[in-house]
Amino acid sequence: MRKLTALLLAVLMMAGLLPALTQAETVKLTMGSWRSDDAEKVQALLDKYKELTGVEIAFQPTVSDQYNATLRLQLDNGTGPDLYYSRSYAVGQELFDAGFSMDCTDIPGVKENFPESALDAWQTPDGKVFAVPFAAVSQVIYYNKTLFAENGLEVPTTFEELIAVSKAFKEKGIEPFANGIASNWDILECVYLGMLPNYVGGADQRALYESGEKKMNDEAFLKSLQDFAELAQYLPEGFESLTNSDGPAMLGLGRSAMFIDGSWTCGTFADYGVEWGAIAFPAPEGATPAMCFHPDMGITGNNATKYPEEVKAFLTWLATPEGAQTTSTYLPQGFFPMIDAPITFADPAVTEILALNDGKVLDARFVWAKLLNMYTPMVEQLNALTKGETTPEAVAEVFAAEQAKIVGQ
Amino acid sequence: MQTTVQRKTSSKNRLNPGGRYWIWYILPALLMYCLFMAYPMLDSVRLSLYEGTTGARTFVGFANYVRLFTDPEVSARFWGAFRNTWVFFAYHMLVQNVLGMLFAVVLTNRTMKGRQFYQTVVFIPCTIAVMVTGYLFKLILNPQFAGPTLRSMGLGFLVKPWLGSEKTALNVISLVSVWQWVGIPTMMFVAGLQGISEDLLEAADIAGANSWQTFWYIKYPLLLPVVGMIAILTFVSNFNAFDIIYAMATPDGAPNYSTDLIGSLFYRYGVAGKHPIGIPEPGVGAAISTAVFFMLLAGVVPTLRATQGKE
Repeated sequence: MRKLTALLLAVLMMAGLLPALTQAETVKLTMGSWRSDDAEKVQALLDKYKELTGVEIAFQPTVSDQYNATLRLQLDNGTGPDLYYSRSYAVGQELFDAGFSMDCTDIPGVKENFPESALDAWQTPDGKVFAVPFAAVSQVIYYNKTLFAENGLEVPTTFEELIAVSKAFKEKGIEPFANGIASNWDILECVYLGMLPNYVGGADQRALYESGEKKMNDEAFLKSLQDFAELAQYLPEGFESLTNSDGPAMLGLGRSAMFIDGSWTCGTFADYGVEWGAIAFPAPEGATPAMCFHPDMGITGNNATKYPEEVKAFLTWLATPEGAQTTSTYLPQGFFPMIDAPITFADPAVTEILALNDGKVLDARFVWAKLLNMYTPMVEQLNALTKGETTPEAVAEVFAAEQAKIVGQ
Repeated sequence: MQTTVQRKTSSKNRLNPGGRYWIWYILPALLMYCLFMAYPMLDSVRLSLYEGTTGARTFVGFANYVRLFTDPEVSARFWGAFRNTWVFFAYHMLVQNVLGMLFAVVLTNRTMKGRQFYQTVVFIPCTIAVMVTGYLFKLILNPQFAGPTLRSMGLGFLVKPWLGSEKTALNVISLVSVWQWVGIPTMMFVAGLQGISEDLLEAADIAGANSWQTFWYIKYPLLLPVVGMIAILTFVSNFNAFDIIYAMATPDGAPNYSTDLIGSLFYRYGVAGKHPIGIPEPGVGAAISTAVFFMLLAGVVPTLRATQGKE
């Protein structure tokens, strides 16, 4: 009797498995990502893709700060997603060198449809493309239009004017900026690396620092640090314990006049009903205006996928102007496609932020390409400088010493 | 009929080799323990002798330990986190557990009204998720959002960047954790106090002992095994603490590593890797956890010896 029950159970379990087995025949791809916040929007994009091609892709994001480690673990164990977001520069290239990421060099359109600056972020030194460029972000200063109008202040166009405006706000009892240092990343990524291109120039100049020809305690760097220290005096009360997520609320509620952050935040202000605008980080008087436009997200295929044809088809679609246009209608606000084609956005505010790029020298975040090991020492130094525990001169010396460690290798 | 009896005896013998039937009761738990506790622990000791991520691991002997204790940056972080963890532990031992005992003595006082209510109030924070507690206190301690309220109450001197200053951050986070978990030792002490025989307390009363003497000469000695148990639980959970730091500071132990605990240090090296590269070094992580395991062992065994086993 017991054997019979066991047999019956086994049969039932097999029957339960059957639909799963038959279902596996239809192509169902998975996509890994660090943008768990965008899950809904990206899934809508992938559903649209299914509508167009019949290939189903499921979006499976991981928390951002664990993505690199989780993806690596999945790939090592052969359970990686078929498609996945690729970080730019060295971090992304590591997965290609290890044999996980697909070689995208021959995907039609990749070499033709993207500008060199975009490809550069997902390209090995010998010209192999390891991911299709997907989206870039820029670093801007958001401002509260109402507060500027009420106080009769003009939107600044130079760094000197920015300081003057900040001073005026502070005298009126309004916090000029909403930035803090408690998140430990935005003071470097959004504020300092956002203003840096105005001082050191674009990618050609960055290459000179990466090769060691220019030192990171030269005049340009020193000036950038002095200006940073001046700006830091206008951070809000208690900035030591304010995080990056406090910023949108402070700007939105009218507690502060400006907030320096990435373009990815622009979608959050709508919740507060604030009249906001965005400006590029103003250059010091007489300097060439430059801006940080950072290649952030690429998408690549997993070499171990069971469906290489379908994966390649998706990547090909991404590299077409039609694909990029469809993508940008679904992308969260503030992420910009990098394709060499006119793209329109539903939200005029987004178009406005992208237009800030016009006529400016553009570059990725300074440390991302070759100096990523400077990230932690830079955050530590800038935190200390913000609190007034060190001087711009001393920080420049530390920068140069850290640079020498990397370039000397 | 005959056959069934035979089968029963024979099966009984098979299941009871040499009278060691108890082995069957232990076996499921032992298997679970070996599979999910002992094996991963031993495997992490093994991992600490390797370098690289899961794909390409190479045996490096004790290189990870050498790096942990001699590399100026890594060892500075390790000893910094080690020191901070002791501070964190000291707060729990001296504030949480002493308060817990005080609350327990008050709550077992039969003349007090509303004991059940207070007991619930003390225990409620334990039921809130740490991420929620951390988020709430971050708002309460935020000078921009709580500042105006505090100022309007005339408490302007409390408006400070508590979590942003290296001097205060760890102390404040420790106290938040104490606030959250004080209910656990309270409950254990309440149970311990309720287990004390009424005769002893009556005898003390008749002998003219005041309440302080009753506590110090009768209740406290009888609670000592509970004190030892709580000390060990606090020690172990504090040396593994991570969530409250993740919720209130960052996994970097901001500001400037002043709230970095062994748990967050391990997370950075062994699990997530350092932002923005984000590639962990499981070998170093395993070396950290192995080193801490032996430190915990050195702390727990003497405490157990001193407080347990003397009935």
